[in-house]
Amino acid sequence: MDYLLKKDWWKWFCIALLTYTIVAGLLVPVPRLNILNETIRVLHFHVPMWFGMIFLFMASVIHAVKYLRSGNNNSDAFSSELASIGLYFGVFGILSGMLWARFAWGEFWSNDPKQNAAAISLLIYLAYFVLRGSLQDQQQRSRISAVYNIFAFSLMIPLLFILPRMTDSLHPGNGGNPALSIYDTNSTLKAVFYPAVIGWTLLGFWIASIASRISLTKQKLEDA
Amino acid sequence: MQRIVQLIRKDLVVDWRQQNPFSGILLYLTSTIFASYMAFAGYVSLEVWNTLFWIIMLFTSVNAISKSFIQEERRSHYYFFLCKPHEIILGKLIYSFLYLLAVGCVALFLYSILLGNPLINYPLFLLNLILGCLGLSSAFTMVSAIAFRTSNRSIMMAVLGFPVIIPVLVLSINNSYKILDSFILMQIQGNLTALFSVDVIIIALTFVLFPFIWKS
Repeated sequence: MDYLLKKDWWKWFCIALLTYTIVAGLLVPVPRLNILNETIRVLHFHVPMWFGMIFLFMASVIHAVKYLRSGNNNSDAFSSELASIGLYFGVFGILSGMLWARFAWGEFWSNDPKQNAAAISLLIYLAYFVLRGSLQDQQQRSRISAVYNIFAFSLMIPLLFILPRMTDSLHPGNGGNPALSIYDTNSTLKAVFYPAVIGWTLLGFWIASIASRISLTKQKLEDA
Repeated sequence: MQRIVQLIRKDLVVDWRQQNPFSGILLYLTSTIFASYMAFAGYVSLEVWNTLFWIIMLFTSVNAISKSFIQEERRSHYYFFLCKPHEIILGKLIYSFLYLLAVGCVALFLYSILLGNPLINYPLFLLNLILGCLGLSSAFTMVSAIAFRTSNRSIMMAVLGFPVIIPVLVLSINNSYKILDSFILMQIQGNLTALFSVDVIIIALTFVLFPFIWKS
């Protein structure tokens, strides 16, 4: 892989998309909806955090599987850094979501299945880092945390399908909620929303690739 | 197959000889149930009865299953040469399921004596209890194998286990509430199947991933 900004076209693509997202997301006129009004603009910054988080965690699990198959240190570094950037995305997502929920639904936390699922996935990956911290031997740490990563992520997926069946959601898409759903979003919103999802996800992978190179370099320096 | 039976029998013998782990769990259960009886007596609605029972099951199972690998500390090298990892984990899964089922039945008995017994449909409630125990025991067996390698085990059990166990817990609490609310099998078939499939996912993952932990 080539890491230079000059040669990596997708990094330029990411910068362009995010610039567009920020400018258009804040300036383009949005549909007037009851209660939501201008707060709808947070859509371009809140929802992509979850998409980004799920993609990053998924990539982290893929690298964990790769590590278990090959025992290659690079995969482990990638896996843990992808998980940690995913965790940051999750924290930003939950904070922006709580702020939005305060204005749209009246409470910071309202026992919404998606909010709960988000909190649980953060708990899982926080536990992952506690596990990494409590193992001394490096090889053992990589292997056992990869196992936990795969185990916990695969159980998180059914959870995402089970929780919404148990309680009604305030989020659009499931439950009887007058707010907008991704599938009937206004087309001007869509024009910003999809680029925003791609842009933020690419940003996550970009940060993770830098972070994993830093951690690999540190390891090399320690060994030398 | 024969090795698996021997491993299960060995666990049984170990538990029989050093009786304090099992009697400790029973005492833990009794005092938890008694404490909740003192705290909740007088205003136990159906929802509270049900949720409290499963929360007690959750905490009891963390403590009951956590020993399953931790007690093997000195013997682990010995097994390493004798058995394949698949045999070890299968033996452990079966034993901890039976163990937790026994604990669960005792829990149900004590709990219904102290906090009242609203059960009507025993077979269905027991079926749900069995499926719940299967999920709890297999997930915590895997987590205990992971926590076995770390330095602060008892905390790691809870930290690693609780987020993972939530699907099983949510489903079984929901099912058993519906059963108490006199739903019949037809109405909760879907949920029971979902619970069973989560159990299968947990067991399959444990089976695939355990050899990687055992090797290190």
